[in-house]
Amino acid sequence: MTKTILKAAIGLLFLAALLVIPRYVESPYALHMMILLFLSVSQGQSWNILGGYAGQYSVGHAAYFGVGAYTTMMLMYSRQVVPWVGVWVGVAIVIVVALVIGSICFRLRGPYFVLASIAVAEIMRLSAINLTTLTNGAEGILATEIPAFKIGGRVITDFLTKVPFYYIGLFLALFTIAITYWVQHSKLGYYFQAIREDQDAAHSLGIHITAYKNIGLVISAVLTSLAGAFYGIYVGFVDPPTVLGLDVSVQIMLICIIGGMGTIWGPVLGSLLLVPLSEALRSNMITEGLVKIGFVSADSRIGLFLKENLAHAHVLLYGILVVLVILFMPDGLMGFIKKLAPRRNREAV
Amino acid sequence: MAVFLQSLISGVLIGGVYALIGIGLTLIFGVMRVVNFAHGDIMMVGMYLTYLLFTLMGIDPFVSVLISFPLMFLFGGFLQKVFINRVLNAVAQNQILLTIGLGLIMSNTVMLIFTSDYKILTTSYSSSTIQVGGGVSVSVPLLVSFLITAAITAALGWFLLKTDTGQAIRATAQDRDAAQLMGINVSRMSVIAFGLGAALAGTAGALISPTYYIFPQVGSTFTLKAFVITVLGGMGSVVGATLGGILIGVTESMSAVYISSGWKDVVVFVLFLLVLLFKPSGLMGKSRT
Repeated sequence: MTKTILKAAIGLLFLAALLVIPRYVESPYALHMMILLFLSVSQGQSWNILGGYAGQYSVGHAAYFGVGAYTTMMLMYSRQVVPWVGVWVGVAIVIVVALVIGSICFRLRGPYFVLASIAVAEIMRLSAINLTTLTNGAEGILATEIPAFKIGGRVITDFLTKVPFYYIGLFLALFTIAITYWVQHSKLGYYFQAIREDQDAAHSLGIHITAYKNIGLVISAVLTSLAGAFYGIYVGFVDPPTVLGLDVSVQIMLICIIGGMGTIWGPVLGSLLLVPLSEALRSNMITEGLVKIGFVSADSRIGLFLKENLAHAHVLLYGILVVLVILFMPDGLMGFIKKLAPRRNREAV
Repeated sequence: MAVFLQSLISGVLIGGVYALIGIGLTLIFGVMRVVNFAHGDIMMVGMYLTYLLFTLMGIDPFVSVLISFPLMFLFGGFLQKVFINRVLNAVAQNQILLTIGLGLIMSNTVMLIFTSDYKILTTSYSSSTIQVGGGVSVSVPLLVSFLITAAITAALGWFLLKTDTGQAIRATAQDRDAAQLMGINVSRMSVIAFGLGAALAGTAGALISPTYYIFPQVGSTFTLKAFVITVLGGMGSVVGATLGGILIGVTESMSAVYISSGWKDVVVFVLFLLVLLFKPSGLMGKSRT
């Protein structure tokens, strides 16, 4: 009992810290990192519900991410619809898209499901490139400014700093974690896990597997589209490869797999590892560090090579990590930590 | 009519190269039941190998097949021995993830070395054509690559049907356990099969390089195409993959002409989904396990 209270207290303290960070941290870069972290958590968590709990490995989540991002941006760009309205249009469209995709793909199992999910996402990406009147094609959509958010004439925020994005991102990440928590502890979650462990057994126990897979897909797709819309507004630019590409699907999936599938904290752990690492590579922090400690000189060939190229290497890192995880810790970081934890603590974890 | 014939011919010719990619994938799947998501990236490595041989040593892309085939065979064998072999008994999803990871490593390593710029391999015959009459012409590099493809496919067929090793590979594909009980070294057969699959993909890369852009991300498109081809033909069926390749080649060139070149890949994917839904065992396949 005391343990539960202690855990709740630590959790609340942590939450309070997250809430006040923008008051004390003014560096836009630090806030930017936190926003990326929140985005990554919500992406990984959305995939987790379908992939981790229901065991349906979708490699096409870019479809929902992209539709969410594109709908919001398109409505804002060509119809002047404010994003916090556009987002819900995006959600409505994504629900329809997910049900169509589900009705096609869930007839298939294993590798066939994976292939079908990729094919659907690719059809979306190619359509976004080709439907130029609607989506601006390969050029993408650039939003120069976001209208201020007003309630009854009073400006709540004008989106000029990163602070409002910080809170939206934080809320989104907490919301997806809460949904995952609810899924894990509800009847729905037990159905999902039964389907994951053995579809035929689940079916013979009277679980309508197609219906529950579709429910899982819709929840997952809606959360992914919210993340997509948030990404679109935050970055202010969408084009087919950055929100609909196969890389996006793979990255969404990897956050969860590297962290640990089917656990509440897996995607959080995955994000805590991947976001800083890829950001460190992207911003050349690692090369500068190596130069500083005298490992390589800045003007040597290796130094110049690293400086020029490491910035593009974060996807390489994803590849290496996923290979290592599959070979050496198939349950992800979370499973690895659980294995390290002594047996008597296992119930607490 | 000339337009129709023209697109039919170029479809069949490019389909031959697609078939080679598909056969490699289907061979790997047949023997190991592993769906290789790095297949297109292996092909991309073959393209860069050809590019290097051409720019550094001036070796003609079609001649370089003689060098890249054995090199890619070794590369494939290495991949099987070090990585794939460890997940042969894991769940299908983990095998898929592992090969996706390997593909990412390959494409991004190549990107680090060569940057992501498009490379073009220009040979003296890159754009030369032969007039067949009736306004129909045949591209020389495509024709040559089709002929080489046909020769390789025939040789592969002979290898699988007539040699001891080939029969052992087919036995392993049919029933891994039974083959092992019959004294077949199944783990060696797996290495050979993966090696062959990689060599075929690499060769396809070499053959396509005079007529296609070379860039690190080219693989994912071809991985998807390889799947469409093998699923269409029936997973594990070599004859099916050959037919599937040509069918996809023709579908692509027809839809590029009659619909638009931007939508041709969409047509292929829609066709793929339809096959998955209505005939998941493919045109030549027997079971979907």
